[in-house]
Amino acid sequence: MAAREPVEYELLIAAPPRTVFAYFTDGERMTRWMGMRATLDPRPGGTARIDVAEGATMVGEFVEVEPFERIVLAWGWEQEQLRVPPRSSSVEVSLAPDGDGTRLRLVHRRLPPDAYDFHRAGWSHFLGRLREEAA
Amino acid sequence: MEVFEAIAQPKRREILRLLADGERSAGEVAARFDVTQPAISQHLRVLKDAGLVEERREGTRRMYRVRPEGLDDLHEFLAEVLPLGLRRLKRAAEEEARRGRA
Repeated sequence: MAAREPVEYELLIAAPPRTVFAYFTDGERMTRWMGMRATLDPRPGGTARIDVAEGATMVGEFVEVEPFERIVLAWGWEQEQLRVPPRSSSVEVSLAPDGDGTRLRLVHRRLPPDAYDFHRAGWSHFLGRLREEAA
Repeated sequence: MEVFEAIAQPKRREILRLLADGERSAGEVAARFDVTQPAISQHLRVLKDAGLVEERREGTRRMYRVRPEGLDDLHEFLAEVLPLGLRRLKRAAEEEARRGRA
């Protein structure tokens, strides 16, 4: 399968970088935008575990943590049927001051190709996987 | 997200695998597993509510088969989790900043 471009998001937030940064490092703030429970240890090598939904747990590790500027998180899903194993892809967050606010750029890289193709592969892939598990 | 709960349970994955080979009645499904009929019915209801299987009546029997588009919802969730989350993050951080200035 062909390699894919990273998935990128960029948005301007009317809050200073210090405030925005905390939404990636503080578990209580994290759950205001992602997940029901979050356990975060925001230092290089520290773990991140976010229950995004019942049965969907994001498991990751902080790779880089530069206060108020940059975070790189290796991540994936604990549940193998979600097709992105723990720590198999990276999320890079960059924060830059923009007036009184922050320009946030998030780049999601290195997803395994079959995660992108989940939709197309659909049932055949999923059920093939189930057969492997059962074998 | 019901789909996650539905496929997180090993027995339900086995049932999906069985139904992927063809339509079965609830009784036929139950006969393949060492669990009670009510337990199987409960699993089938969870799978149905999650949109992973569909049910039809045939006389007094309920027939079940996999619903091919059932995983689309899961895919959409995975594709949307970051962009939707970032919009919530923006709202929350801006509200916090406003409170801080007040």
